[in-house]
Amino acid sequence: MAPIGQFSAELKVFEQHRQEWSSSHPGDFVVILGDEIAEGFFSSYADALKAGLRRFGVQSGFLVKQVWVTEPVYCIS
Amino acid sequence: MGRFLLPWDPSDPNDPGPLMDVVVMNSGDVLEAWRANGLERPDPIPMKALIDTGASVTVISKTFAKHCKLLQTGESEVRALGAQHRCGEHAGTIRFAGSNLRPVEAIRIRSVDFIREPHFACLIGRDILRNWSVTFEGRLKRVTILD
Repeated sequence: MAPIGQFSAELKVFEQHRQEWSSSHPGDFVVILGDEIAEGFFSSYADALKAGLRRFGVQSGFLVKQVWVTEPVYCIS
Repeated sequence: MGRFLLPWDPSDPNDPGPLMDVVVMNSGDVLEAWRANGLERPDPIPMKALIDTGASVTVISKTFAKHCKLLQTGESEVRALGAQHRCGEHAGTIRFAGSNLRPVEAIRIRSVDFIREPHFACLIGRDILRNWSVTFEGRLKRVTILD
């Protein structure tokens, strides 16, 4: 399993686009590997996952990220 | 439509809550990609899961996520009892063993440490529950799920 922090490069790319994407595609998903962004926005996680596998393959460790202005904190209790 | 009954005794302080048997594995697309690459696939892992209306998302024990080799696709913050943790996000499929409930394919599953939790290794959160009709019947000591 990938360690926490594995996606620092991808998250940096995401942060560079967060404002723009959160205006144009709030709630959609994007797929990023390194500084490469898979083309398009995806309305579901499953579609984004498929696109990531198609574009980058299963061994590459790509990021699937939902676009929000502010990062949510998920409550589990 | 699937229907499933779970035992649950809210008057028993030792009852951990409504538990169901689930099987967690990588999603079909990931398994297919592994197969195409000639990679070895880990066997699906059966475990107990708690129906947890207090969990906004579905969560699995980090140990199990590692064992299942769930594909990690991100990170997120979760808050449990006031403490905030960074956790992994994985692509997975959950099947509900011994029931005719439909499997949940290709969803995000977060992984966290389940410390000193002997009863379950997975929380079924509201990202799954929102697709079900769940009835808690305290007097009848049961939970009914319809999907």
